[in-house]
Amino acid sequence: MPDDRAIVLDRLSASLDKLSERTPYPEFAADAATPDALRGRGRALFAKRLAKAKTVVFETPQALGDYLSEHDAAIGYCDPDLAPLLRPWLGPNVELDLEFDHGRVNEYAFGITRATGGIIETGSLILTDSDTSNRLGALAPWIHIACLDPAALHETLADAITGMGDDPNIVFVTGHSQTADVEGILVHGVHGPGEQVCLLYDLALPEGHGDPDQ
Amino acid sequence: MNRQAVDAFASGLDSEVRQAIEAGTARVIENRSHTLAEDYSDLDGLRQLAGQVRQHALDHLDRYLPQAERRLRDNGVQVHYAPSADRALEIITGLVRASGTRVVTKSKSMASEELDLARRLADIGVEALETDLGEFVIQLDDDHPSHIVAPIIHKTRRNVADSFAKHGLGDFDDDPEVITRRARRFMRDKFLAAGVTITGANFISAESGRVAIVTNEGNARFGLAGADIHIALAGIEKVIARDRDLPLLLSLLVRSATGQRISSYVELVSGPRSASQPSGPREMHVVFLDSNRSRIVGGQTREILRCIRCGACMNTCPVYRQSSGHAYRGVYPGPVGTVLGPLLKGEDGFGELADLARASTLCGACGDVCPVNIPLPDLIARVRARSHREGTVSGDAGIPSMGGYSLIARHPGLWRLAMRFGRVLNWLPLRQLPLGVSRAWFTSRTLPRWRGGYFRRWLRSRKEGQDA
Amino acid sequence: MLTPDRNPIQGRNVQLMISCLCDAFFDDAAKAAVEILQQAGCQVTVPSDQTCCGQAAYTAGDWETCRQVMRHTAKVFAGPDPVVVASGSCAAALFHEAPIAFEGESDLPVMQDLARRTWELTDFLRNALGVDQWAGSLAARAVIHHGCHTRGTATREAVRTLCAGIQGLEILDVPDADQCCGFGGVFSVSHPYISTEMGRKKVTDVLSVKPDIVISADMSCLMHQQGIAGRLGSEYPIRHIAQVLRDASMGGLE
Repeated sequence: MPDDRAIVLDRLSASLDKLSERTPYPEFAADAATPDALRGRGRALFAKRLAKAKTVVFETPQALGDYLSEHDAAIGYCDPDLAPLLRPWLGPNVELDLEFDHGRVNEYAFGITRATGGIIETGSLILTDSDTSNRLGALAPWIHIACLDPAALHETLADAITGMGDDPNIVFVTGHSQTADVEGILVHGVHGPGEQVCLLYDLALPEGHGDPDQ
Repeated sequence: MNRQAVDAFASGLDSEVRQAIEAGTARVIENRSHTLAEDYSDLDGLRQLAGQVRQHALDHLDRYLPQAERRLRDNGVQVHYAPSADRALEIITGLVRASGTRVVTKSKSMASEELDLARRLADIGVEALETDLGEFVIQLDDDHPSHIVAPIIHKTRRNVADSFAKHGLGDFDDDPEVITRRARRFMRDKFLAAGVTITGANFISAESGRVAIVTNEGNARFGLAGADIHIALAGIEKVIARDRDLPLLLSLLVRSATGQRISSYVELVSGPRSASQPSGPREMHVVFLDSNRSRIVGGQTREILRCIRCGACMNTCPVYRQSSGHAYRGVYPGPVGTVLGPLLKGEDGFGELADLARASTLCGACGDVCPVNIPLPDLIARVRARSHREGTVSGDAGIPSMGGYSLIARHPGLWRLAMRFGRVLNWLPLRQLPLGVSRAWFTSRTLPRWRGGYFRRWLRSRKEGQDA
Repeated sequence: MLTPDRNPIQGRNVQLMISCLCDAFFDDAAKAAVEILQQAGCQVTVPSDQTCCGQAAYTAGDWETCRQVMRHTAKVFAGPDPVVVASGSCAAALFHEAPIAFEGESDLPVMQDLARRTWELTDFLRNALGVDQWAGSLAARAVIHHGCHTRGTATREAVRTLCAGIQGLEILDVPDADQCCGFGGVFSVSHPYISTEMGRKKVTDVLSVKPDIVISADMSCLMHQQGIAGRLGSEYPIRHIAQVLRDASMGGLE
């Protein structure tokens, strides 16, 4: 609606023209709000920060398989590219759907997708459209397992935000879904996962499946 | 009206509501100050920096808004401008109608509250479901949020359990976990059935067209995984200059709002889903809402538009805590609302809410906690001055006239006389006198003995006190 | 609160603004202010034409009246000498609020000049005269109430430092010490319910630590608190910081 646009932009110009001076853009480092205590690098620190943010970390596919059987998680969605790589580590009774079936949204105990990177400062996982085989698979089941190649780590929130490529949907996931709306009492698993898991392990995906360094 | 409306509302407030608010705000205040103290040795420096980053974007909005529009279009987003709330409603209801859907999911958005969007969509036969747990409860109760971050801060878990039972969401159970599970179960079918999802926007980068959306529950994510069309409604002031501003603003926003260091989900959405992605909107719209913001941006209270909706000012405000968010009669309660409320009403509506700026002791606690360093007490005083200049009815209610004071304070002879004769007050039954609005002092307070003139006499008797 | 860069102090002449409340109710606080400034070596002038700083009209939103009263104040306190104010909020009215209320007025520079010369009393002692220890003794358990208009100013540190040097003066911690007591000038009558509730909370918090005295650089807050306590039937002994400093120099309370 060009008319609406012109109305708003004309009003804005008329209003701003009244200012005798306009605030300049300040000089600052993009990571100015990163606390010193949260700076640092390395996979071990990232794993620690993930855990602090209530993300369960596994560093071998075997440990992930054990976790799923302990939780009786028998039916789940899995990224079709990851399924053959993980299959050997999952129990024989675990059923993997390679396409997300809306009709089974309440049956899926877990969803397995790839993460694009991680943020050490905040203990966050980075999910993107290009690496997430299905947004619903990373969100709807109670347990979400994000498989992350530990090489793709950003040190700070600022590094992550300014270093991301052109993806239409980037999500920084820090821990599980939660709310404190009722009397300030923390409850996890509102609409998203009640358990957030990260498999921090290089699954050596075949070439051409996204670029983990992005 | 001869009494200030906020005070009248506060005096009639249920004590259970007041206790709920007191407990809710106390918790967040504690979490906020703990995290900020642990993380930052120079918080004031960061607040000033963030304030400048926001003010820069606002002062150059005539450049950044069209730039954001271009980026969004390049990313495949359809951009709409809404000069007024009514126009925004037309645009959004038009898009929803055209989609043919009967179900719309909504994430929390204060701008959508300005439009009363969910009710207006219901009017055209669309089920517009509030998916934030607190907002969902508000919707069940046909209530209004009383806080911009914690919409049901005024309700207890028993209230919520009652609402759920009344609306067929299970038998009475006031365990917050049970309540949350029931909402989860109820909502996911809606997320999958909805053709349209509506979100707000915490920030929109003019550099990349990225729309930042922050939630803890994951409701915005689910909306953006289930629906075919995404509509993001944003005030024009949400535009920021560059992506590199985001880490600073997000870090201060989240810490100030809840005391967390980052929300569970920070989502950067820059367009419809990618070709390889099976779930999520194929179509994305951004609606830029003006609704008097363009007028504020060049005015004497322009800093108010820096607000990033963290809620810290209301948590810390003793007047808010005594009166509840509903006392502010609009979308934005607390200190930010005392300024934004009347200003967003525009020239004609300013007087309706001008009294809100009276609901402050100007104690400055709000300004001290504001993550973008909005000089709130100064802005509140400016709104008062405008209200007085324009003689608004709501603003003038219960305010003593300054006429007599003005005369005496400008004439030192009269002043000295008044100081001496004030002593008659010591002999009068002050609680019974028709002193106009000043009588309100005496109903709950005594007055010390009047001792006007004594100091001046003492001074004259001393050689050292050299008068001019 | 924005404190402007103040002019450096030359000489020992000061002009004392006692505040309208000390003029009308708290004459001993005003006397004490004169005495401690003299004790600190100042030549004190107390212009007899002084009335009010204008803050009442500022907070009421009547800025026309506010400017008229502030113009009178600027005239009374003209000249190069610093203006020392026996009230944190009146000082803030002159150095912070006046420049806002005079935006666009031709005599804004006059008010800016006044702002650069204006000091709250303890801020002046501590930061203009460099007093870092107040010699004296006063056996009392005391609560310090920081008026909200001293937020972000040097007054808070100055009051604490000066009190810390007084032998026998024990400063007590109060819950929610930073919360406003609900006075707020015209707010106290425009919003009597909320003002009273805030006042009752403050008074209850202060009395919970059983102080002998409540000290402040602002008598307005203390008058409100004492008034609330009075209606509740509680004793609420209030002291201006100047009275405390003077009494300490004299070696005791009584």
